[in-house]
Amino acid sequence: MTHVLLDNLTITFQGMSHPAVDAIDLEMEEGKLTALLGPSGCGKTTTMKLIAGLLKPSQGDILFDGKSILSVPAEKRNTAMVFQKHLLFPYMSIGENIAFGLRMRREKKAFREQRIKEMLDFVHLPDMARRRPAQLSGGQQQRVALARALVVEPDVLLLDEPLSALDAHLRDEMGELIRSIQTKLGITTLLVTHDQEEAVVLADKIAVMFKGRICQYDKPPVFYQRPASVDVAEFFGARNMIKATMQGKSAETVVGTLEVEPGELTTGKAVLTIRPEEITLGENGVNSLEAKVISKVYMGTHVRVRFLIKGIEIEGLFTKETMSEFQEGRILTLSFPPKSIWAIPD
Amino acid sequence: MSPKLKIWLMLMPALTVITLLFLGGLLLGLARSFNYMPVIGLTDPNVDAYIKVFTNPEFYQALGLSLYIAVTATALATILAVASALLLRETFPGKRIITFLFQLNLTIPHIVGAVAMLFLLTQSGFLARIVHFFGFIERPAGFPILIYDDFSLGIIIQYVWKEAPFMGLITLAILQSMGDDYEAVAQSLGANRWQRLFHVIIPLITPGVMRAYVVAFAFTFGAFEVPYLIGKTYPTVLPVLIYYRYTDVDLAMRPEAMAMALVLAVISTILIFTYMAISRRFTRVD
Amino acid sequence: MAKDTMTMTSQAEKSIVIRRKKHVRRWIAISFLMTFLILPLIPLFIWSFGFNWFFPNVLPTRWGIRAWAYVFDPTAQILPALWDSLVIAIGTVLISLVIGIPAGRALGLNVFRGKRLVEFLVLAPTIVPPLAVVLGIHVVFLKLGLADTLIGVILVHLIPVLPYVTLVLTGVFANYDPEFEDQARSLGAGTITIIWRIMIPSIFPGIIVAALFSFIISWAQYVTTLLIGGGRVQTLPLLLYAFARSGDYAVTGAISVIFITPGILMLLFTSRYLTGKNQALGGIGR
Repeated sequence: MTHVLLDNLTITFQGMSHPAVDAIDLEMEEGKLTALLGPSGCGKTTTMKLIAGLLKPSQGDILFDGKSILSVPAEKRNTAMVFQKHLLFPYMSIGENIAFGLRMRREKKAFREQRIKEMLDFVHLPDMARRRPAQLSGGQQQRVALARALVVEPDVLLLDEPLSALDAHLRDEMGELIRSIQTKLGITTLLVTHDQEEAVVLADKIAVMFKGRICQYDKPPVFYQRPASVDVAEFFGARNMIKATMQGKSAETVVGTLEVEPGELTTGKAVLTIRPEEITLGENGVNSLEAKVISKVYMGTHVRVRFLIKGIEIEGLFTKETMSEFQEGRILTLSFPPKSIWAIPD
Repeated sequence: MSPKLKIWLMLMPALTVITLLFLGGLLLGLARSFNYMPVIGLTDPNVDAYIKVFTNPEFYQALGLSLYIAVTATALATILAVASALLLRETFPGKRIITFLFQLNLTIPHIVGAVAMLFLLTQSGFLARIVHFFGFIERPAGFPILIYDDFSLGIIIQYVWKEAPFMGLITLAILQSMGDDYEAVAQSLGANRWQRLFHVIIPLITPGVMRAYVVAFAFTFGAFEVPYLIGKTYPTVLPVLIYYRYTDVDLAMRPEAMAMALVLAVISTILIFTYMAISRRFTRVD
Repeated sequence: MAKDTMTMTSQAEKSIVIRRKKHVRRWIAISFLMTFLILPLIPLFIWSFGFNWFFPNVLPTRWGIRAWAYVFDPTAQILPALWDSLVIAIGTVLISLVIGIPAGRALGLNVFRGKRLVEFLVLAPTIVPPLAVVLGIHVVFLKLGLADTLIGVILVHLIPVLPYVTLVLTGVFANYDPEFEDQARSLGAGTITIIWRIMIPSIFPGIIVAALFSFIISWAQYVTTLLIGGGRVQTLPLLLYAFARSGDYAVTGAISVIFITPGILMLLFTSRYLTGKNQALGGIGR
């Protein structure tokens, strides 16, 4: 169970005007799975490579259990990486792939054989040791890649978008496997991904990264209720962004004056956001607004409806039972419960 | 016109040339080696030429020498090629110059290479003079014998000089298309530089490098030009021996020359196939 | 805490030292490589301008352009030989392209029964030493009156040239999408228009690379020209060796310089096509 601390970590690549990773501070709790979430190019994979030692930072430090590991070369760092592509060595058998790390440490053959068997059982692939990577399916290959990383009992496990190359149904399976293994073994894990669903399902805490900086670091539910910025909110699927000026409990907006719950933001400019599923139909207490139905989309279990309120497009998500209410052009009343409105500083 | 007919029609010119000139040449040579050439009045086939060849120690000497040169030169060239390719993978000032030099080397024919080695490596050659300039030798005799020598060193050096850049560029292309992901995985699992070289890089590049090796080996084994200029006249490599026999004033030597040439062709083909079979089993990639 | 910082500094220092050692090693390797590649070429140039150049002088004591004057003397053999070499090489290029383009198309775009055999046949000349083939053809060429002629030499040059030309063009066509042709045809274009305006421009880089290979191989042929040309056809390689053996190193140097010039020019001119050459090279033997 290793505690990982990134301290003012920065790297600027040659020829680039701005850093790829910009002075980030991050504390990964021991034994927990931390997700590094962000769009392509935000620097998350670079951060992972810095932790692994495949890249050297321009500034800052990386500490494992309080000790700097910057001068430790990658091969000695006791971190293990699982990539997006399984990258199993095609000229080795499954067993040889798994035991690779052990072989590099010159562990004895008997020990290696035993560990191979243990790991294969652990990832639910018993008796596959003799097969070759090409004979396995995509999901099985990824599980072998995971076994290969775990067999060396790393202090830190690094997962670089391990699910994105898999089909949807395999993704769930593999995600569950990762979660169960991680909790069982208690390895401090960093998961890098661009898929917020993946992060929310697998992570204990999520660090959202944009343009080389960490914008918010919290437990998953917080990102839905209290996103720290507009970028973060949009990344997590927040739809309804309304510019507002805060005055204590009230917010002046284009659609009207809305009552909000008292929070940290009491003055100044803000962006209000409310999740589509929180909007209610009909007059329910305060914050009732007149809305015109523009369009609706039936989504199987729910119906997504677009409204126009004083020129602003608002999206709501309702149960399929209420579908008949939403005829195009109809004017309805919607309510925005104050506790569901979140003010983001602008 | 049926698509299948079209295909064969497009292949026709190439196949005609190959069949007539290449296969035809081999078959005619085969016939001539059996002393059978109705065209010039020989209608009595016999195996005399082959008997003479297989009982002639000169033949085995020449064969052995050809093998020795091909194996040594190609092996050294391969090592140098892989090392160069690993070096050229990285970026450093002067990389473009070296890459250009590699490509430049490809355009220089072996005959010029042979002449260059002649100028460079004789005991009073350019290298000897430089070595003398720095005080390592007193007279030409102090410089080792590299041209017309017993170990065919000058010949081997020439082939290494030519084959290494050729194989190096191929290896570099393979390395670049491979990317460095596999090495990153190995490194994260604890493999140091040498371990990555032996356990990851070499196994991954071996299939492609083997193909280049086979091409280079085949060429060096059957090569005439370089030993003809800077090799000892006796003993010499098999192709040169064949040439001497063929152009001998005594026309009766001709069938013997043909026989040797055909044996050379057969041995060459067998060697190539053996190499390919071995490399396929060794690499075990899908 | 202080101890930790001290350890950190000495560890940081150690990593700087390691990095510096790595750079020094790299520079030694680069210097060795550069020297190895360039050194053999230097005496070629120097000799061509040398009037008096004996051991132990690293540079000629007297310079002169006698060799160059001789080379460009229209009454001497060099210029006619240069001309013949060019004619033969260009002829070989043209014929090999006319044969190789349809063959490459047939092999690159299609899978058909017998394809493996055809591929093997096309590549066979790279495995079999040319000597065996040429000796066999020689008699027939004599009978057909093709020996001692330019066209005979061109024909025999096709043997080593065709495999490479076909290989490159097959690779090019493997990446070629014939749908463009279908579209053109649906717009009313005739076959000749399609070939000239669609296919040729698309595969043009491949044609350039194939032509390069073809030219260089033919340009550098020695033993094939020697045997089939019979002394009547004097190409530059033959002259090169003749002067090298006769000991006139100055003229030999001059001829060498002329001889490698077209190759270097082509390299400079087509270097942009050559970056794609890596893919072609990587495909050798596939």
